[in-house]
Amino acid sequence: MSETQTKTETKVALDIPWNVVVHNDPVNLMSYVTMVFRRVFGFSKEKAEQHMMEVHQKGRSVVWSGGRERAELYVQQLHGYLLLATLERSV
Amino acid sequence: MNIERDETGGFVFSEVEPPLAEMFRAIPSAADPELSKAAFDRLFPDPFTGKDAQLSEEWADYVQPELREGFENASTTVEADLEPLNAGGDGWSIPPEHVDAWLNTLNQARLVLAARYEVTEEDMNRMAPSGPPGYRVAARGR
Repeated sequence: MSETQTKTETKVALDIPWNVVVHNDPVNLMSYVTMVFRRVFGFSKEKAEQHMMEVHQKGRSVVWSGGRERAELYVQQLHGYLLLATLERSV
Repeated sequence: MNIERDETGGFVFSEVEPPLAEMFRAIPSAADPELSKAAFDRLFPDPFTGKDAQLSEEWADYVQPELREGFENASTTVEADLEPLNAGGDGWSIPPEHVDAWLNTLNQARLVLAARYEVTEEDMNRMAPSGPPGYRVAARGR
């Protein structure tokens, strides 16, 4: 693989947005999940509750999309609050 | 057991019955993620779910230690707050600035227990919150 090709592929990989996904778990309380969304993302009460309900009812919710570095920081914060969060490429 | 808010917004626990005191004393050790592999995996999940070995490895090397430090700091704070109970007293206080550490440690303990004993959503729904019987909660100074 040529250097140019490697660089191009790396750039493409970095440009692809990542989704921060929060998954349902049987232990975390709904009120706690709402509180964490508000603290980490600064969501309004309504928006935080909307995502919380999506997690609860559908099993998962995409709470943020964007660059990998920032997405990783959000996941680190969510893990710090003990929520089950993963990162997925959005395409 | 009595629970009161003091003038700083902290919580004051007093007249804690010995069996309850025993349970409170066990919180920090119950939060230990090393108690089982399932507990460890729950407290330190791989955000890349094994789909990218290099990113997973970097996460384990650089982020996991920071998370671990945060959990341990919270647990150590709780342990220090409980020191009066460990010294044979029947109460202790939680200053307002320690409330997040308590929330974190209690949640760690709940997750570790749930992972170790494979608690499901159904199990949790069966345990509908009915509230602890007979505890007196009073607000004071706020």
